[in-house]
Amino acid sequence: MNSMIKIKDLEKYYRTEEVQTVALNKLTFDVKEGEFVAIMGPSGCGKSTLLNIIGLLDDPDGGSFIFNGIEVAGFNERKRADLRKHNIGFVFQSFNLIDELTVYENVELPLIYTGVKPADRKKRVEEVLEKMQIMHRRNHFPQQLSGGQQQRVAVARAVVNNPKLILADEPTGNLDSSNGNDVMQLLTELNDQGTTVIMVTHSEHDAKYSHRIIRMLDGHKVTEDILV
Amino acid sequence: MFKNYFKIAFRNLWRHRLFSFLNILGLTVGMTACFLIFTYVNFETSYDNFHSKSDRIYRIVADLKTPTEVINGSGPSWAVAPHITEFPEVETAIRVMQNVILFKKGNVKFNEPEALFADPDFFTTFDFPLVKGDSKTVLTEPLSIVLSETLAKKYFGDEEPMGKTILLTGDQLPATVTGIMKDFPENSQIKGNVVVSMTTITKKFNARLNDQWANYSPYAYVLLKPGTDAIAFEKKLPGFLEKWNGKEMDQLQMYPTLFLEPMKDVYLRSTRGGFVTGNIKNVYIFSIIGFFIICIASINFINLTTARSAERAKEVGIRKVIGARKTQLVLQFIGESIIICMIAFILTIGLIALLNNSFNDLSGKVVSTGIFNNLQYVFYLLLVALGIGLLAGIYPAFILSSFKPVTVLKGRFATGANGNLLRKSLVVSQFAISTALVIGTIVVYAQMSFMRNQDLGFKKDQVLVIETNGDSGAKALKETLKGLANVNQVSLSGSVPATGNPSAYSEIENIKGELQKANLDLFFVDFDYIPLYKMEVVAGRAFSRDFMTDTTQAMVLNEAAVKMFGYTSSEQAIGKEFKQWGREGKIVGVIKDFHFQSLQQPIKPLTMRIEQGNMDYLSVSLNTSNLQSTLATIEKAYQKNIPNRPYSYYFLDEFFDRQYKSEEKFGTLFLNFSLLAIFISCLGLLGLASYSTMQRTKEIGVRKVLGASVPNILNLLSKDFLKLVAMSFLVAVPVSAYFMHKWLNDFAYRINLSWWVFALAMLIALTVAFLTIMFQTLKAATTNPTKSLRTE
Ligand SMILES: Nc1ncnc2c1ncn2[C@@H]1O[C@H](COP(=O)(O)OP(=O)(O)OP(=O)(O)O)[C@@H](O)[C@H]1O
Ligand SMILES: [Mg+2]
Repeated sequence: MNSMIKIKDLEKYYRTEEVQTVALNKLTFDVKEGEFVAIMGPSGCGKSTLLNIIGLLDDPDGGSFIFNGIEVAGFNERKRADLRKHNIGFVFQSFNLIDELTVYENVELPLIYTGVKPADRKKRVEEVLEKMQIMHRRNHFPQQLSGGQQQRVAVARAVVNNPKLILADEPTGNLDSSNGNDVMQLLTELNDQGTTVIMVTHSEHDAKYSHRIIRMLDGHKVTEDILV
Repeated sequence: MFKNYFKIAFRNLWRHRLFSFLNILGLTVGMTACFLIFTYVNFETSYDNFHSKSDRIYRIVADLKTPTEVINGSGPSWAVAPHITEFPEVETAIRVMQNVILFKKGNVKFNEPEALFADPDFFTTFDFPLVKGDSKTVLTEPLSIVLSETLAKKYFGDEEPMGKTILLTGDQLPATVTGIMKDFPENSQIKGNVVVSMTTITKKFNARLNDQWANYSPYAYVLLKPGTDAIAFEKKLPGFLEKWNGKEMDQLQMYPTLFLEPMKDVYLRSTRGGFVTGNIKNVYIFSIIGFFIICIASINFINLTTARSAERAKEVGIRKVIGARKTQLVLQFIGESIIICMIAFILTIGLIALLNNSFNDLSGKVVSTGIFNNLQYVFYLLLVALGIGLLAGIYPAFILSSFKPVTVLKGRFATGANGNLLRKSLVVSQFAISTALVIGTIVVYAQMSFMRNQDLGFKKDQVLVIETNGDSGAKALKETLKGLANVNQVSLSGSVPATGNPSAYSEIENIKGELQKANLDLFFVDFDYIPLYKMEVVAGRAFSRDFMTDTTQAMVLNEAAVKMFGYTSSEQAIGKEFKQWGREGKIVGVIKDFHFQSLQQPIKPLTMRIEQGNMDYLSVSLNTSNLQSTLATIEKAYQKNIPNRPYSYYFLDEFFDRQYKSEEKFGTLFLNFSLLAIFISCLGLLGLASYSTMQRTKEIGVRKVLGASVPNILNLLSKDFLKLVAMSFLVAVPVSAYFMHKWLNDFAYRINLSWWVFALAMLIALTVAFLTIMFQTLKAATTNPTKSLRTE
């Protein structure tokens, strides 16, 4: 299988007034298409930073990042936005739904930005909501849902565009274990259908759902556990 | 996509009802105020635009140079218009004179204060359309009358007025209705509801008037041929006067100069008076106020929107993660701001429609017949609303859309310090504008009150003035009134303060012993006048029945006149000689200067002399006990002695103050718009205060747990805002001081801009701001801290 993501000597610094924090330090690894990778490590080791760069939300300060054969390090904001909206779906620990929009509208939003026609949108959204078993709540607002339900909506929103890659940053962090397992189940199913998944987690239990665990410390990879 | 934006926009508006309300209210009020000002300014600048030939019509005005001064008069002498047509450049020349005329139709009397006498070309030169009659001939014959439609209806009802006879003046001359004209438009500098042919005067009464070069009176207009260079033409006028009148000028030592005022400039820009006068300064002042108000409203908008940006940061982050481009977000936020402006636009239209009549009342004339009669204005307003939406939306839109998703989604987002700085400077400018307007209002009102309460130098209270219009029954009426119980004194005169008075070519012996020529204001009075008005005699004596010669050979001067002829003390003037309008004699007394004109004018040199005929005004000094019955008795006496004229009277103090009507209107408008400006600024302040309080809920909670008292917290929260308001004061003071100083310069007698004006304005601004902030902060300061801490 081809590599979807090739990361080499990736660097990221944060400069505050006096100190310079090295968030990523010569990080190198690959992710193949269809893989399910978990990233683990202590708090502050640079996991979220890495995920943001892979998700094209942030630009690295050094090294190379090849996404689907294209060097994307140094892309401007607009190019990153265009690449992102067609290829990548995000799931966050804190769900990050838009409070002013209903469940249906939240899930519909990515399709609007990628310019899908209204009739097709309706079909896609309903399909996904059905799959996430949240169809009956389609006209509710996020505050009217439980955490587990909100995260299912977030997953629905992440996958509605059929992205090749899903990035999940502690997707179960705010959920109890039963809701957490549901979400992991969903991610596994998506992965089975061919979507590449990269997930940051603090839970060894959740990490077991993946094919491979990358362990990080102080901004670089220390070990790799191959599970399958 | 747009549907989604709309949805988000409306839900946001609803979720943040207070902010939306403040935003929309501020904008609506601001746009309404601005629009009303626009209609006012637009109306003021539209005077006489309706005359198709207005570019070629000029008003002829005259300066009169006497040995002592130059008088800026308005009308040229009677002979100018009939003779100026000798120039090939002149198409027509028309004299127009306004007069009070008494009309009698059958047994019904009508007193028309706005009657006009006009030369025959009146209707062919000006665009006052005739409904009936031929514009070329309606005013040719003496005793021809053209009635306005309204007046025709009033006099004749459904009867056909054309060709009917109406009796004119006390002499009851039969005049014929030769035409009916449309009522003059409101924005006409020439005011009148009936036009009588000028030939009535020049042919019937005084055939020599057309050749009188030293007799000044009516307004005069010329219509120049197309292509005439008015400035070049004006240069020919001195020669014209010299040719016709040179000899007389030298003999009288009175040298007139003629000027042409473009008709369109007369109303707003001429300083020489007119039927109605406007003031270009007021137009500028109001335009500036309008602009300020719309600025204040837009600033609110920007402030409230950016203040809330932190709350919307999460939404921005999510949209970006999902794939929104920056431009899409910018468009979304601008769109939202436009939606708010559109809501405000619709409300504004409604409010304007509601306020139309009150605004007309406030400005004292029919400035607008209603917004729906002027659809192009609705369109302009729409453009303005869109413009504000765009301009006020752009800044917040760029701020919001430039948030980095990585930062905001982490929740690390802090309200930017730079945004705060901008918001602060905007608040400062808002309050600076408002405070400047408050200062302006205080100055205008202080000046008004100063003028009303100024000692005018004569008794103006409890003096009833009856208009006798020179009727032959006036003297008999005076005798009757003298005998009434509650009447103290009665005096018959040609003028009373504020009515205006004639001026006369006079020669008075000066300090060097020569007869000095001058054109002097003149009051015709009787023996009772000076005592009735309690005017102070500073030298010599008042007129007295004890001196037989007083009726024909005596004159009283005011102090200004004494000074004019070089005397250093009033005593020196006593016994000096005078010649004036066929009379020769001696100065018998000097009275203290009194204000016979409004306080805008300096007190001019004045002469008084006894006249024994029937004059225009009967002043009656009253005892206020049983006022109602006294007034009724007076009216009855009037009807008996002057049966031919409708009874018309007023109290002198009210009448005198009526001269300040336009200043008063100006003051009221100024006050209203200042209130609006303050109101809108406070809306913004309220929004900001409630926002910052909301943001500091946790801080307040912690402080209270640590032992801060409610006043501590209030102090903490209000201090910043009050500092801003105080800063704005520093900006407002020099600006308003400069402009109000200029405004006050129009008044010969005026207040000084003293410190208390500014102190009061500062106090008002601080109080209003403090109350506004209190409203929000008190709530926060008194909440139980456990509540606010739990929200985190
Ligand atoms: N915006 C920022 N400014 C300065 N330093 C930052 C910023 N974001 C992250 N860092 C620093 O970079 C390092 C990596 O942060 P990152 O958020 O990637 O850690 P993480 O592995 O996701 O931690 P956690 O498991 O707690 O989420 C940390 O030391 C952090 O303090
Ligand atoms: Mg993290």
